[in-house]
Amino acid sequence: MTRQFEVIQRDGAARLGRLRWADRELSTPCVLESKDELELLEEMTEGNAELDVEVIKDPEDVHGTNVNADIIILAGALRFEDDPRGLSRALIKIKESTNPDAALYAPTLATPQNISMLIYAGVDIVDSVLINVKAREGYLLYTDGEERFDEIPHPLCLCDVCRNIDFGDGSFEQKTAIASEHNRGALLAEVHRVRAHVRKGTLRELVEARCRTTPTLTAFLRLLDEEYNYFERRSPIVRTATLLACSQESLDRAEIRRFSERVIERLHKREGILLLLPCSARKPYSRSRSHRIILARLYKLRPFLNEAIITSPIGVVPRSLEVMYPASNYDIPVTGRWTCDERERVIEQLARYIEVNAFDSIIAHVDGPYKAICDDVAVTLGVDMIHPSDSENILSSHSLQCLEEIVWDLIGKHSPVRRDLRFDYLRDLADYQFDKDASAALFSRVPKIRGVFPRYYASDRGRRIVTLVDRYGTLALTIEGAKRYIDRHIGHYCVWIDDFEPKGTIFAVGVLRADPIIRPFDEVIVLNDNTIAVGRALMSGWEMETSNRGAAVAVRHVEAR
Amino acid sequence: MKKEGIHAGSSLVRADKNAHVRKGAPSIRPHAWTGLDLLNGRAVPSLTIVLRTKGCYWARRDGCTMCGYINDADQNASGPLVYEEFLGALSRYGEEFKIIKVFTSGSFLDEDELPTDVRDAILYDLKDVPKTIIESRPEFVTFETCEEIARINRNIEVAIGLETSNDYIRKNLINKGFTFRDFINASEAARSSNFSIKAYLLLKPPFLTEAEALRDAVQSVRDAAKYANIISLNLCNVQKGTLVEALWKKRLYRPPWLWTAVEVLKQAAENATIICDPVAGGTRRGPHNCGTCDRKIAEEIRRFSLSQDLASFKVTCTDKVLWDFVLEFEEFSYGVPLVP
Repeated sequence: MTRQFEVIQRDGAARLGRLRWADRELSTPCVLESKDELELLEEMTEGNAELDVEVIKDPEDVHGTNVNADIIILAGALRFEDDPRGLSRALIKIKESTNPDAALYAPTLATPQNISMLIYAGVDIVDSVLINVKAREGYLLYTDGEERFDEIPHPLCLCDVCRNIDFGDGSFEQKTAIASEHNRGALLAEVHRVRAHVRKGTLRELVEARCRTTPTLTAFLRLLDEEYNYFERRSPIVRTATLLACSQESLDRAEIRRFSERVIERLHKREGILLLLPCSARKPYSRSRSHRIILARLYKLRPFLNEAIITSPIGVVPRSLEVMYPASNYDIPVTGRWTCDERERVIEQLARYIEVNAFDSIIAHVDGPYKAICDDVAVTLGVDMIHPSDSENILSSHSLQCLEEIVWDLIGKHSPVRRDLRFDYLRDLADYQFDKDASAALFSRVPKIRGVFPRYYASDRGRRIVTLVDRYGTLALTIEGAKRYIDRHIGHYCVWIDDFEPKGTIFAVGVLRADPIIRPFDEVIVLNDNTIAVGRALMSGWEMETSNRGAAVAVRHVEAR
Repeated sequence: MKKEGIHAGSSLVRADKNAHVRKGAPSIRPHAWTGLDLLNGRAVPSLTIVLRTKGCYWARRDGCTMCGYINDADQNASGPLVYEEFLGALSRYGEEFKIIKVFTSGSFLDEDELPTDVRDAILYDLKDVPKTIIESRPEFVTFETCEEIARINRNIEVAIGLETSNDYIRKNLINKGFTFRDFINASEAARSSNFSIKAYLLLKPPFLTEAEALRDAVQSVRDAAKYANIISLNLCNVQKGTLVEALWKKRLYRPPWLWTAVEVLKQAAENATIICDPVAGGTRRGPHNCGTCDRKIAEEIRRFSLSQDLASFKVTCTDKVLWDFVLEFEEFSYGVPLVP
């Protein structure tokens, strides 16, 4: 089957794509504007057309992945205009049971206000029907809502249409024509904004802002956030843009929950002394003034400590993962006041972290709200936490002196093993990125580590194994590293391709099988009978396997097997 | 007819097939009211009596997608009781009406629903009224039955719920269970006894866009006019316990615009005598426009029904541009009314 829709870029479930249609090429997300286009698409639903267009009348009735089309239409999408639960269910049901390289069309539903959220949820095609209905009902539409044009004393916006028109004159028909034009401009401008955000990978930040304008859309986002798997399966493991956690919903982002879960589930068990520190505005934390002061004081003692940072919204960040997204790259409004939700999440995660590890002693060198959180956790778990600062500023010389003394004491008491801190980063990142015990496979013995923080690279017997890519905080494998990994983790993070020599970009059509756990931006190992290669995933593993179009892996090194 | 969009046959429809199971007890019996109706081109006082029988056999067995009249039926109705009620209503309103309509919530000519002795007694009592209107499904309007009752009362008009001349729509979207041919046969039977025939047409069965509903109604008036003396255009409203109500609640149905009704009357009036009573006009469950013009337009429709004068339609409103747009673009929603 010839696929006519190709995804070019992804941001979670949102996508930029290219739809070849008749002798045209449309860039999605797109707005169908003319009656011709709407009719053409409708005719194609009858079959025997250039595009394979599937109409889904009842999303609850879609079975398996037997739908394989170029365009999928959610019939009657407008019935969900005021039903966010129905809409999120319908969209996710359809997306999860149809081929991923189909463009999803939600007819007659888009407005400037909801379009960003529709695209965020996975819609690729919309139309201008509803904005024209609203114009004829007397509404000018904006991204923040609507306004009846007979109630506006003078143009409320400075778009080309409104700026030159006095709404006071003319018949109702003339006014609706102007309103249609305005609404069209508003919708197209917003789609343009969305495209820009998808390119940067920041659509989530936009929808958290847009959803504020109405309870229905806020509910829609919260309901979508309950679909963790849907978004996690589509979320890249890293991004270069800063995660802005400005709202309550930020706490429920898939990336944050995934980070927390991997910290608990993937990292190896730690023992000895845990030192808890507060987060800092500057990232990675160890570059911040506060951390530099504390770490300088503990300079010689650090190899005996396990450090972890308490923060909202992520919860707990082991020092070794401070270079990994989202810990490496987020920003929150700092007021000193924590919401109950924030507190609760952090308490929960800190308690889990302490529970899954086996620390002998816990030092909480924190103050203010952080201290209250630690106290809560200590009570809940029935563990002791030592507070060297004792409600003083943690950077005061007295606090620091106490901290140092306590650490000396505990080291004397527990005599913990001395570790190489640079190895800590590589080991934990390996486990975080390639799953539990990956580090044991990659580093069967302590490797030689070189490089300046955080650009470490490790080799063994003169052969490079991994490099920490500081831009992303991820480990890049060499062929040697890949071989060591797959020896012990058969099939994990692997992409099996057809019998060709991988060069540059591997397209989904050439992928035979792929580990479903692979996410965009993951480091992957590419295999066929003759070659082994390493590279970066450009789409999720399950998507590589079921798509026929689009770039799947960017290959870095290739070697004969 | 669009093949796409949300449609009869989807699981959504099947799931609600039993939606019209009746609940609740009947209240006032029988239901009767007076009004004005057309007789030989003139408006005359009329009396309508709805007898509480055990209800339409079709509704009890299967049922039409928009009809909730079965809710007014009485499972325990007996012939003598029905007749007693009829006499009660007559005496309450007197007999000074030129037109008396005696309806059941089913078929007046179904012997199983209304025993023949009661039927004959009622028709006998009304034999001097200039026009008696009864309602029946076409399968009961046979040559034999018509001859029988013609011996008792010669001034009968038989009203039949044809709904549409389109067999596909009547079968699949309305679930009426008879064909246009059945209606023609019934019409011929009634006319052979010199009865007049009224055809009820349904404006906007479920699963049609506004434009499709308009086209269907206009075509149906043209088709039915050959076999009916008068056509009654019924604007679909949302009745309790029906499939239409279930769809309406899911925003998959809205009653017709009053503009659509006006348009049907304008386009089809030259073909037939056509009357229309916008029941529940201007309400969410009934035919409606934007809300500001509804009352005036409903009134114009009633005036037209008595005068057959298209000049009755004068009102205009800003929502007409919206209605125009709906006619043109509703099909692209794939199954949802663009404006609730």
